[in-house]
Amino acid sequence: MVHALREAHRVLKPNGILVDLRPALVHRRVGIERAGRFRQLGRMYESLDDDRKANRSVALVLRAGLFNVEWRTQFDCRRVMDSLSDFRTFVDEFAALGTDVPPHDWLIQRVQRALETRGSAKKIVVRGPLMMNVLRKRDVGA
Amino acid sequence: LGIEIDPEQNEVRALKRVTNWRRERVAEIGCGDGRLTLRLARLGAFVHAIDPDAKLIRTARTKLPKRFAKRIRYHVGEAEHLDFANESFDLAVFAWAL
Repeated sequence: MVHALREAHRVLKPNGILVDLRPALVHRRVGIERAGRFRQLGRMYESLDDDRKANRSVALVLRAGLFNVEWRTQFDCRRVMDSLSDFRTFVDEFAALGTDVPPHDWLIQRVQRALETRGSAKKIVVRGPLMMNVLRKRDVGA
Repeated sequence: LGIEIDPEQNEVRALKRVTNWRRERVAEIGCGDGRLTLRLARLGAFVHAIDPDAKLIRTARTKLPKRFAKRIRYHVGEAEHLDFANESFDLAVFAWAL
């Protein structure tokens, strides 16, 4: 990750901007949305190791003087799915990212039960904030 | 995957606060299937979008609307070895990629 940040520094013009946009370091909340209302069913326990590594890499290039922090922000982001199979695929993708990710069968079952209850159209919604670091390139020679 | 990410476009609102993207030359690193690339092009940027996964780049090229054909170039490549000259971009975006 540090190599990628250094490479971005190389291709940026003087005073160029690096935007680091990614999910924030929190476990995602899963629920059902019906008529615009979100009902939480559980939290995912995905591995956050890569996110921690990314934070450390950003800290390293800042310490190395390659960039200055212009500003940081965090905002809500929803991932909306229509079917249980979409959600299952979503969960499987997280499981594929690390060996220490616990199974989420319990959460899939909860979502399935919630979908099976009677009522108006429902969507499966995964909520988790995104964070954005905006860094300004520093001229290393300056 | 039938998943809609960020239907409220909060991401775009945050990106608009960064700069005026119009005519800016952008390297998007880790573009995946080009979801964010299209959003950057809609903001007016010229985007070179890079991802190591050739299959995802093929998908992105297939989904590229004609109106953005001159504003987006997709490349298979590694973030650690970008095939571009020094100091050639106004912005670099790591899109869920770091």
